[in-house]
Amino acid sequence: MPTPDLPDQTGYEWRWFAAGLKGIFTLPALILMSTFVGFAGLARDAGLTLGQLVFMVPTIWALPSHILVVAGITTGAGVLATALAVALASIRMLPMTMALMPRLRANHTRQWHLLIVSNFIAITAWLFTLRHVEDIPRNGRLPFFAGAGSVLIVGVTAVCAVVHTFAASLPPLTMAALTFLTPLYFAAMIYGNAKLPSERLSMALGMFLGPLFVIILPEANVLAAGLLGGFSAYAFRWFHRRRSAA
Amino acid sequence: MAFADLNPFVYVVLAGVIPTAIWRWAGVLAVGGIDEDAEILVLVRCIATALVAAVIAQLVLFPTGALSQIPMPVRVGAAVAGLATHILAGHRLWLSVLVGEALLLGGYWLA
Repeated sequence: MPTPDLPDQTGYEWRWFAAGLKGIFTLPALILMSTFVGFAGLARDAGLTLGQLVFMVPTIWALPSHILVVAGITTGAGVLATALAVALASIRMLPMTMALMPRLRANHTRQWHLLIVSNFIAITAWLFTLRHVEDIPRNGRLPFFAGAGSVLIVGVTAVCAVVHTFAASLPPLTMAALTFLTPLYFAAMIYGNAKLPSERLSMALGMFLGPLFVIILPEANVLAAGLLGGFSAYAFRWFHRRRSAA
Repeated sequence: MAFADLNPFVYVVLAGVIPTAIWRWAGVLAVGGIDEDAEILVLVRCIATALVAAVIAQLVLFPTGALSQIPMPVRVGAAVAGLATHILAGHRLWLSVLVGEALLLGGYWLA
């Protein structure tokens, strides 16, 4: 839908980019950055160099994928097993992107514009943009999202670089506490996102099967636990619904 | 091929960047093509949840580096207490982080 009150229908209103930059001054952005404090400690402990860390944080830009890759590195998992685990954990990007893109599109927006800004999609910028998008003229929406996405990427990458640099001078116990932030945050967050009983069952099964498969199938333990746990929990839902329907 | 056998940047791109980005691009190309509430997406969410849960448990039970100096029962106890706090105390993230970290450090000093 074109916005009727705009004389210029061919360009974006880039002043909305600056409005998107304000996304860094929100509580979710603060939480995101403190989560990455823990992740940077984890990655450094896993042996990643500063260069590898500041490369992987913005290019992957999805914390579950970051953590799966680092876990794959520490357990010596094969590139294919890790890639499959990351792909399965990232499918949620598909419906997230599908929900956001029609709202960002202006009259003259080309698909390649959307392909570029889609790389900014991760939960924090996505939620922030969805919350404000209806109050922004069509020509300002894509710049707004680009602003919110890029400021978060730059901020988080900077936080990771700082933590990695100074981690060496921290006492080991402080490093341990930093690293421990990641499982604490993640356990709370995936429980918060797991609304369905089958999702909560998936969480419990994953937590049980993950360590079990470290012993049985160390080179692909996360992938095996995710598939077995996820399919079992879904099967539970399927049988339960069939019984309720009958 | 594991991380040690490959160029680390190649490993990160193949194992992390591409498998994440393809879903964003597919989402742009598929707009309007898939029902966002489709039942298949429930299965997808179950698998994703189990994957991340498996990693969490691995991080707590088999940590590398600094965290491994803390005894396993302390790590497990602190993680369980942190999650329990989150569930019982009305989804307050800061509180569950605080409880988990306090028990981790307190448990280490007492152990």
